[in-house]
Amino acid sequence: MSAAKAPPGHFSILYFAAASSFTGKSSEHLPAPVSARSLFDELEQRYPGMRDKVLGSCAVTVNLEYVDVEDGEDADRAIEAGDEVAIIPPVSSG
Amino acid sequence: MSTTEPSTYTPDIPSKPVTKTTPSIHVELTPNALNPSTATAFVRSPSAGATVLFIGTTRDSFNNLPVSSLAYTSYPPLAMNTLYAIATSMLTKHELTKIAIVHKLGECPIGEESIVIAVSAPHRQAAWRAGEEALEETKKRAEIWKLERFEGGEGVWRANRDGAMGTKVGSEEEKVKEENK
Repeated sequence: MSAAKAPPGHFSILYFAAASSFTGKSSEHLPAPVSARSLFDELEQRYPGMRDKVLGSCAVTVNLEYVDVEDGEDADRAIEAGDEVAIIPPVSSG
Repeated sequence: MSTTEPSTYTPDIPSKPVTKTTPSIHVELTPNALNPSTATAFVRSPSAGATVLFIGTTRDSFNNLPVSSLAYTSYPPLAMNTLYAIATSMLTKHELTKIAIVHKLGECPIGEESIVIAVSAPHRQAAWRAGEEALEETKKRAEIWKLERFEGGEGVWRANRDGAMGTKVGSEEEKVKEENK
């Protein structure tokens, strides 16, 4: 499930459900560092339209902890090389 | 992507069950068929006078549209943390004796078990309530996603939180998510 270890200077990002369908990938490695606040901009640049169609309803985890990338102190943190980021669309178990 | 085409998205699921077990909690994500009696056996205890078992099975329709197949995917390490946190909180809040939450991953044929929750408690009221709350919390929070494929080939990611369809797979322009939260 987890992506292969990121090469030096990169973090791993995992895409689930609609995020995976939109990007056509389940994971990739992106250059680090990047501020949490700019993560969605970064993704929008790579996948035009993703913010409106997917990211707007998604949560983000960094190393298995939820991070608010749009507001508050969380948004100021940096995503560092080796981190595992995940895009979490609305869930649908059961 | 339709079901007849190779999908660019392959549900990435563990080949073996992922479990976390303590004397009073068992949580599991598994590619195997679920066995409700195993969950029941886990929670059975001489100090519990009540056992409640919930079995969720996959339905053959969504809003009257025929569903031909279903698959669940997950972010297992995170979903396991969440399931364990839910189990721990139910155990304390409802003074349960034991609790088991097991969810299927991968293809789940229509009519088969996708989730099994078993709880035991000294008395029935706590067991009923905890069983229901454990299910609702799991549906709300566990990082598991259901892909429903409709007859005719279209795949749709469901979202529990609004009871509406999620995003159609491979046709992002046609997002059919209703804004009726």
